[in-house]
Amino acid sequence: MTLYVLRTLMKMALTMFVIISLVFFATRLSGSPLDTFLGDGLTQEDRDLMIEYFGLNGSIWEQYLRYLRGIVEGNFGLSFLERRPVAEIVAERIWPSFQLLLSALALTITLALPLGILAALYRTSWVGSAIMALAFVGYAVPNFVIATFMVLIFAFSLNWLPVVGNGTWAHFIMPTIAMSGVLIAALTRFTRNAMLDVLGQDFMRTARAKGLPETVVILKHGLRNAGVTVLSVLGLQIAGLAAAGNVVVEAIFSWPGIGELLVNSAITRDYPVLQFGVITVAGAVIVINALTDIAYAYADPRIRLGNA
Amino acid sequence: MAALSDTAPRRAVATLWIEANWIQRTATLLAIFLILAAVLAPLIAPFDPLKQSLISRLRPPIGFDRFKDGFLLGTDELGRDVLSRTLYGLRLTLGLALVGACIGLFIGGTLGLLAGLRRGWAEDVIMGAVDMQIAVPFTLVALLVLSILGSSLPVMICLLGVAYWEQYARIVRGEVRKVTEMPFIEAARASGGGPRYIALRHVLPNIVSPLVVQFTLSLSNIVILESTLSFLGLGVQPPTATLGSMVGYGRDYMPTAPWMVIAPAVAIILLTFSVQILGDWLRDRADVRLQGR
Amino acid sequence: MPALAIQLETDMKKLLLTTAAILAASGAVAQDITVGAANVSSYLDPGRDHSNVGSQFYYNAFDTLIERDHSKLDPVWEPALATEWAQIDDLTMEFKLREGVKFHNGEDMTADDVVFSLNRMYQATFAPYVVRSKDRLSNFAEAVKIDDYTVQIKVERPEPLWETLVSLQQVMIIPEEYTKALSGDPMVAEDGDFEAFSLAPVGTGPYAITEFTPGEKVVYGRFDGFWGEAAPLEKATVIRIPETASRITALKTGEADIVTNIAPDQLDLINADANLKTEGSATALFHVMIMNVNHPNLTDPKIRQAMSMSIDRDLLNEALWLGKAVVPSTHTMEEMGALHQPDLTTFEYNPEMAKELLASSSYNGEEIVFDAFPVYYTNGVLAAQAIMEMWAEVGINGKLNVTDEWTGNDPEMMSRSWSNPMYFADPFGSFGVMWAPEGPSEGAGRFNTDAEYAEMWERFRFSEDVEARKAAYVELMDRIKQDPPVLPLYRPFESWGMQKSIDWKPQPGHIPYVLDFRAGSISLAEG
Repeated sequence: MTLYVLRTLMKMALTMFVIISLVFFATRLSGSPLDTFLGDGLTQEDRDLMIEYFGLNGSIWEQYLRYLRGIVEGNFGLSFLERRPVAEIVAERIWPSFQLLLSALALTITLALPLGILAALYRTSWVGSAIMALAFVGYAVPNFVIATFMVLIFAFSLNWLPVVGNGTWAHFIMPTIAMSGVLIAALTRFTRNAMLDVLGQDFMRTARAKGLPETVVILKHGLRNAGVTVLSVLGLQIAGLAAAGNVVVEAIFSWPGIGELLVNSAITRDYPVLQFGVITVAGAVIVINALTDIAYAYADPRIRLGNA
Repeated sequence: MAALSDTAPRRAVATLWIEANWIQRTATLLAIFLILAAVLAPLIAPFDPLKQSLISRLRPPIGFDRFKDGFLLGTDELGRDVLSRTLYGLRLTLGLALVGACIGLFIGGTLGLLAGLRRGWAEDVIMGAVDMQIAVPFTLVALLVLSILGSSLPVMICLLGVAYWEQYARIVRGEVRKVTEMPFIEAARASGGGPRYIALRHVLPNIVSPLVVQFTLSLSNIVILESTLSFLGLGVQPPTATLGSMVGYGRDYMPTAPWMVIAPAVAIILLTFSVQILGDWLRDRADVRLQGR
Repeated sequence: MPALAIQLETDMKKLLLTTAAILAASGAVAQDITVGAANVSSYLDPGRDHSNVGSQFYYNAFDTLIERDHSKLDPVWEPALATEWAQIDDLTMEFKLREGVKFHNGEDMTADDVVFSLNRMYQATFAPYVVRSKDRLSNFAEAVKIDDYTVQIKVERPEPLWETLVSLQQVMIIPEEYTKALSGDPMVAEDGDFEAFSLAPVGTGPYAITEFTPGEKVVYGRFDGFWGEAAPLEKATVIRIPETASRITALKTGEADIVTNIAPDQLDLINADANLKTEGSATALFHVMIMNVNHPNLTDPKIRQAMSMSIDRDLLNEALWLGKAVVPSTHTMEEMGALHQPDLTTFEYNPEMAKELLASSSYNGEEIVFDAFPVYYTNGVLAAQAIMEMWAEVGINGKLNVTDEWTGNDPEMMSRSWSNPMYFADPFGSFGVMWAPEGPSEGAGRFNTDAEYAEMWERFRFSEDVEARKAAYVELMDRIKQDPPVLPLYRPFESWGMQKSIDWKPQPGHIPYVLDFRAGSISLAEG
């Protein structure tokens, strides 16, 4: 078990290192940041001056070493644009994104699990097909379409909901729905399929044969076993969302989150922010994946006992 | 495969149709309709999608005030015909998605096959790359690459191509391992068949159906990915339009000229909806348990 | 659901009406507004900034020695931090400073602060200042303290634009002690001090910047120690709302009281709402097309003349700006007073001539790429697409490349969109900053000057006589016409949407985009 954990940690570290390096070279190969945000009217002399000022002098390998040393020392540098520590900038943006993610997750679980179970139980009736049709629609509508149409209807025409920022609970409604659409659809489908798998299995028949009421059987045995599959799916989906799925939603609702920060820093070539942001997000995803694996192992007795 | 007679596929299609429920039938008809519209766009589009008419900007669709003759779904901010642009946009979106999915299938399939047959360090490297692709969400990668390299058709195609390769790779590798452990492969190996022979002769037929299913599912994911990137203004260069970029550039006009957004948005939804249903249907029929995404 | 919806809507309306009634009855209007801006600066330092985004923010919080009456188009100079000023010889101006002026942090403003602020630009060592000072302040040698409330500014050569260049945003006054103490040694001005200042800016203006989240939010609070007329607002919050549709929606939902950057197409929508209105003006800035005179395919001036002459700028104005933009015949603006020369025709639409020029040129249908920013300029991508069509009409094979990247320094760049703002009210402050010999355009390698051009330039920049300056400018414009590196498309009509209760509009004497909330510039109606 210790060996297994060590191996996993090594793999995580290696993945991080490759990502860190890739980010560095991808950004450096893309041209000078000066052209983007100081571009308006610089002479060659001025450009040399600014290159020195931003620490972009020296060969790419020198810069790479400086960059690695910085990371090891925990010094990720200053933003080119804002001239303050990137850690501070990223920290400011993480929390709002996380809040949005949590609320999307809460909505997803409250809706998708019951819907998935219902769809499995009533798979032959119209209820089941209606739920599944709905899930497909949810899957098919991109979040930017939901978001733009919600803004038009609920904010612009009806003036019910605010559209700017994350000030109050009302600000959460539209972004949460826009973010959850695909998640709900995905989770409903997986819950249904997982439940169908489980419903047909022997121990369910045994449980029913013992005379337990159908609801109890489903909730107690079915859900618990289907939970394993559902959990792993959820982990992957969160990982995706945590990083980028909400860029669009954040832009439309002026949400001060990390996705928008990353895109903007890529556009302005603010390398230090971009690098640290990607490292943070990739780190978060790797951790979420690891946690999912552990939870998966814990939820499934076969794995838990096998590994112990 | 080659042994099958000519009538067999036709019979199979007929059986499929009979077994399908109403949702699946609707999706099939819809998909055929959309594909026809995309293929025939140059014939059926009433106007040149790029032809501007600055004096007929922002005209509404038929049935509204200020409607201008011929522009059935209205005009956009440069006086171009929304219907024609939607048809051409659908054509390009669908084309991009197909090319992207094929590239993904090719890369993922080859690497998966390699990983499954070779084992050893080749497998480690390939599966390490798979892990990495999973660790960094692809939308993010695509956004960064496009904002750094700038948006162009070749870059876009490459991105859509590598977007979901790891799913094919995992499926193929899994199937290869499963198949190679079967007794009859052992027999083939014993009788002197090399890995390439084994792969072609035995593995390929076994992985066709999961790959077809995966192909369909990733097709709709690619459509959504492309639309999202184009919506953010990182897709193909204007004046060329894809469905996503039409929604993207039109969104500033949402309150004043919603028709600019509604037509392409509906097209995206119908396209992804029908493809999803078809994929799911195929999956049920092939009865493959595809887990993961 | 519909019944519930209607019920909710009625409730909301009732609530809004009641609130309005209470406010009207008490006669008190909250002196507190929220502005939704398309962009918010990532740093706030008037010295190093000359961006269109930044210029929105400085005037509320900072002062210059000399102030201009911004309600008037023609320059009327007024005392500000300096109460009087007089030229004591060809190269020196002496300023008497106002006594009793306080910075937002409580420090008194004295000659030391003024000398510090000016010399950080005139004798810049901090790279961003060096860059900014070179293009407009290179004639300024130094500022010298005479006594606690007297300062002299010395120039290298006789300066025809004294007041103009002393009232620039870049030479707004900041506190010396506060700035130096921000990092490192509190007695020395280090780069780190200026970097820290741009995150915690302090000035002498009627509003203090009480909160600043880079790129997101700027909060102004009324500064009670202000030396002039008190600020009309208690608080003004500027937040970033990048999406146009979201900005308009925020105005409708009441989340914002003023929103910036409204395109002409959206004006009717806002004006149709009984509670909202728009204000706008043709901004003192040109959207321009620049052309790389050194690109191998474009070295023949006839090709560039044709690229320019094929563009029907009046049609662009009619279609995209509803006729509200201003199409110039030459590189000039009415703000330039005596140097405004609208009779010159440097740029015109003549497709026939464009075809002839092309036919007699070395052009063989090579692709000409036109780069454009995706969202930065209102109607930018639309105009670019229309220009491609207009080029096609005369036989130019244009290709649009929409990119966020600034390609103006790239030798491969062929043509692109840009803006040429009026940094101060003189042709030097608009054409001059960009197209001087050795200036940024030449430095970027897409524009060439020679001894003859430099000589014209000298006469234009330093002649004491206005007529001589005008004559030299005519010669410069002729050079631009013969071998064009630039085409000013139009002065864009920029609009702000706002609640009807707000009385605000852009003032004609400002540089572009300034959000001026000082006394006399904004008031909130009662009731």
